[in-house]
Amino acid sequence: MSLNADIAKSVKITEETLAGYVIDATREVFTTMVMMQPKDEFPLREPVSRFRCSITGMVGFAGTYHGVISIHCPVVLALKVTSNMLGVECEEVNDDLNDAIGEIANMLGGSVKQVLSKGGMDVKLSIPTVISGEDYTVNSLSDSDCVIIPFIVEEQKFLVGLTLKKGK
Amino acid sequence: MANILLVDDSSTMRKIISRSLRQAGLPVDEIYEAADGIEGLNVIASGKSIQLILSDINMPNMDGLEFVKAVRANGNKTPIVMITTEAGGEIIAEAMSSGASDSIKKPFTPDQLQEKLGGML
Repeated sequence: MSLNADIAKSVKITEETLAGYVIDATREVFTTMVMMQPKDEFPLREPVSRFRCSITGMVGFAGTYHGVISIHCPVVLALKVTSNMLGVECEEVNDDLNDAIGEIANMLGGSVKQVLSKGGMDVKLSIPTVISGEDYTVNSLSDSDCVIIPFIVEEQKFLVGLTLKKGK
Repeated sequence: MANILLVDDSSTMRKIISRSLRQAGLPVDEIYEAADGIEGLNVIASGKSIQLILSDINMPNMDGLEFVKAVRANGNKTPIVMITTEAGGEIIAEAMSSGASDSIKKPFTPDQLQEKLGGML
């Protein structure tokens, strides 16, 4: 999985550099708001689109660039993440879990937006969308436009993906 | 002790900010919550005593920029601090020109809240 060369060229940074921004943003969000220190395992060796017993939070970009930043994590890890964020134990998939994962996607989107748009007005962020289930598939419009970074924290793996296209 | 209105569509973020305000040792009494700008305006219209407003920008129904403009259009001069992932200069500049007092970028630490808000409370 790699970022489209045109996108990398248009944002004037390499795929590795953009991945670095996503890694830094993910670490900052987790360290500051989740009290966890994830380690990245970039690059991803094999494409992943099917998730089991997982939850996915997504925030869209529109404007000069459009695309989606997403976080995919096992429900077991999402429960720990949510418990840490809220300061109370979260034991089931519920509104708190959905909201917490959506907010993480929102903060990741904000960080990536800073790279894509220095001013902030030419790229808009959507309200977060969250999906979860026992077995589901997430497909981007074009796999070649994706950079996906695997992370590991507390012996659980999760993914952060960024799909981008240059707007018209 | 100050009463605070917290406007954010994420219930998780409202809980984190509420906890962080108290962890930072800020003199906070009541914290009123609203999930968007419209709810925020309704809390203000209810006549509650509010000394500081903290608002997200990217929200459904009425976003933070519209909310700030609406609060100021009503003649309300309560300090409004934007707490947002939207750290872009133009958006923050618009918020400030619309009447916001300051901004804090998400994610944040309790120390950063204390640093920004300490002088306002």
